[in-house]
Amino acid sequence: MSVRIGNKKLFGLPTLLLVAMLVAPTAQAQDDITVSVTLDRNSIGLDEQALLQVEVSGSSQDLPKPHIPSLPAFEIYSQGRSSNISIVNGVVSSSVTYRYLVIPRKPGEFPIDQIAVVHNNKRYKGNVVTLKVLNRGSSAADDLNERAVGAEGESKDYFLEAVVDNKNPFVNEQVTLTLKFYIAVQYYGSAELTEPTTTGFWNEVLGNKAPYYQRINNRRYKVIERKYALFPTQTGELTIGRATIRATVAGKRKRSRDPFGAFGFDDFFGRGVEARASSRPLRVNVRPIPQENRPPDFTGTIGRFNISAKANKQQVELNQPVTLTIRISGTGNIKSVAEPALPELDEFRIYRASSSEEVSQQNDKLGGAKLFEEVFIPRVPGDLEIPGLSFNYFDPEQERFRVVSTKPIRIRVTAPEGYNSDSPVPYLPPGMTIDSRAHDIRHIKADLGKMQPVGRMPLLTIGFLLFNAVPILALIGSIMIRRRREKLAANTGLARARGAAKIARKRMAQARALARVETLGEFYAEIYRALTSYIADKLDISPHGLTTDSIRRILNQRSTPEGLTDAVTGIITTCDYARFAPTSLSQSDIDQTLKDCEKVIVRMEEVRFG
Amino acid sequence: MAKLLVIWLSVMLMAAALVVPPASAQSDEFAMANSFYEDKDFASAIRLYHSILDRGKESATLHFNLANAYFKSGDLGHAVLYYTKAQRLAPADEDIAFNLDFAKQFSRVQMEGVQLNPIRTFFETLVRPYQLQQLGWITSALFFMLLGALTVRISLDHGTSWLRIVTAVSLVILVAAGSLTTFKYRHDFLTPRAVIISEESPVYTGASEQSEIELHGAPGLIVEILSESDGFLNVLFENKRRGWIKTDLVARI
Repeated sequence: MSVRIGNKKLFGLPTLLLVAMLVAPTAQAQDDITVSVTLDRNSIGLDEQALLQVEVSGSSQDLPKPHIPSLPAFEIYSQGRSSNISIVNGVVSSSVTYRYLVIPRKPGEFPIDQIAVVHNNKRYKGNVVTLKVLNRGSSAADDLNERAVGAEGESKDYFLEAVVDNKNPFVNEQVTLTLKFYIAVQYYGSAELTEPTTTGFWNEVLGNKAPYYQRINNRRYKVIERKYALFPTQTGELTIGRATIRATVAGKRKRSRDPFGAFGFDDFFGRGVEARASSRPLRVNVRPIPQENRPPDFTGTIGRFNISAKANKQQVELNQPVTLTIRISGTGNIKSVAEPALPELDEFRIYRASSSEEVSQQNDKLGGAKLFEEVFIPRVPGDLEIPGLSFNYFDPEQERFRVVSTKPIRIRVTAPEGYNSDSPVPYLPPGMTIDSRAHDIRHIKADLGKMQPVGRMPLLTIGFLLFNAVPILALIGSIMIRRRREKLAANTGLARARGAAKIARKRMAQARALARVETLGEFYAEIYRALTSYIADKLDISPHGLTTDSIRRILNQRSTPEGLTDAVTGIITTCDYARFAPTSLSQSDIDQTLKDCEKVIVRMEEVRFG
Repeated sequence: MAKLLVIWLSVMLMAAALVVPPASAQSDEFAMANSFYEDKDFASAIRLYHSILDRGKESATLHFNLANAYFKSGDLGHAVLYYTKAQRLAPADEDIAFNLDFAKQFSRVQMEGVQLNPIRTFFETLVRPYQLQQLGWITSALFFMLLGALTVRISLDHGTSWLRIVTAVSLVILVAAGSLTTFKYRHDFLTPRAVIISEESPVYTGASEQSEIELHGAPGLIVEILSESDGFLNVLFENKRRGWIKTDLVARI
């Protein structure tokens, strides 16, 4: 192919292609401008305003400004612009977003079109958007003017207004409640809001909106908005209660004697007063969902929804699970979305695994997505199909029921090696094993093993408890011994008293060894020492000063058992007698004295000497 | 009087001999159950294993074989239940651990989003091979050693350096062993658990069938029991999801 003038060949095909390639991007660059028009909401009240955004994008660095046509139904004010440049894979693209405040003049539904830009003598038109201006549910301008006037005709510094976007909703249809705090004076700190009562509604806070200014009765008010999504749960007339807001605002300026007051220092130092404003209660008439044309499996979901389904596998082995994720998304009370009915399928065992929600909001409308996970386990091999699933809901705008469905999903089910359809045992596919050799559970054991009582609490055995008790007892014992030892070391008198019996027993043992006529003198001397030392140790005194009389006196002062004093003094007298006239005593006297002394020492243990 | 006592004792011994079969009888019954299993008569094997259990005695092997029989008969819930019981009695047994892991793979619902607590996992790994008795006796031996060292120190009235070292080391190891024992005790005995045994096991948001269904369980899933009310158990799944399930749909471990 070639371009000829007469017989002269001007360009060959390769040259033409080259030129085309060089020219094409330029031509494309001239045509790639797009104008996108969006509104931040689709419907507003007469006293409200919407934000119109016009995004002009393209590869040109010098994007034109859009032309806004004359719109008789609205006042349009520019709110500035923002630009963005991006470079992806060497391709430069830029966009400029122009923002306009749209204030309605009259109620109705108005298309906003003819927004366009002109670039290189070519006109690029934006998409059409429609803004619905509601008379209902919005505080009319007159009403708002009245609200801004106080009882004495003065202009209010602040007031709280509550409006709903729909006073006749269907049950479970969203009603957007907007609280508007109008304030024309300076305020300090953050306001404290008491939320309105919303009995009969399920409510969700949509959040606070960016403050803006509005002129009422020729006074400029700052408007702070807070929005709620309310879903009526019952039919009939429902009331949204008062909301109350408290804030500290600049007080009325009085004539001040303070010389600084004239220079505005009063405000500077924040002479605030507490402001309190309440909204008026609102009544909403909730309509029931119509019975006419209602599908039999309708579950009460209201809004606008879509449904999709996706399987995580297209091909599985027999008895292997396939997870089907069903996603229902749209606007409306997503939490009330019920699970779509699943068909009874002979080829599958179906189990409902879980559900989850993703709640989101768009243009003050609550919505989101609800996901249901269903597990399908194929019973038979082959090409199986999960049929389309249907979901129905009520569309409140169209006031009719709608049905949305998913497409059927095909699953190829393969029969693995070793599959036996007659086996009552659950199939054990090789892929499900823990290691490559394992195709089955490990076999039963032949040895019964050690039997023990069912449910016996381990460690609660006598042996275990004793084993733990022994060291505790040993520790307690050693602590007691140590304390006793320390006590005795600190008190010699007590130590002597405690050791008296032991020493006496030793002396008695020595006396027993001397209990013969040949050693009569030593025997009685030992008996004497045993008795006197015992009494001296008990009283923590020297034994040398003890006489028969002093011993009698000491024992009489204590509550001694009857006859003990006489027995002690009798033995001591016998000892004295034997030591000084030993020849008259026989072996029987010695034995008798030994026995008496042993008895006396035992009896004296009962006497409290201390 | 002595004669009466002898007669009474004899009667009691005879009664005990009649009521409680000797170990050999249990072994015979166990062997017979095993032979039913070998013949793939799993229902008869299960019945016989249970008859041994019903006499109030258990062993890890008995639970293991019973679990195998349940698994082979297609009852995944009871299989997991008895493998778990077997593992509690013999935590180091590899066969039990293998079969339990193997069986769990057949659960139709696999827990997703399970967030493992690293500290808990660490402790579980440490104590898994040991029985509570073993940990308890080790802790007691350390306790014995520590108190013995303290007793000697108190009795001698002065502490030698080796005695101080023994005391300090015993104390440190005792704290560690005591922590592990306590963890094992809480994990195995204080925390009530159950296994879902029913094929259809809806888990509700409240203790009533009129409540919304939170999720659907499946045989073989192990849950922790949080509370009980009106024939329903408030259960916690491994992935921390919770709900109410009817008591008769689960078996307590």
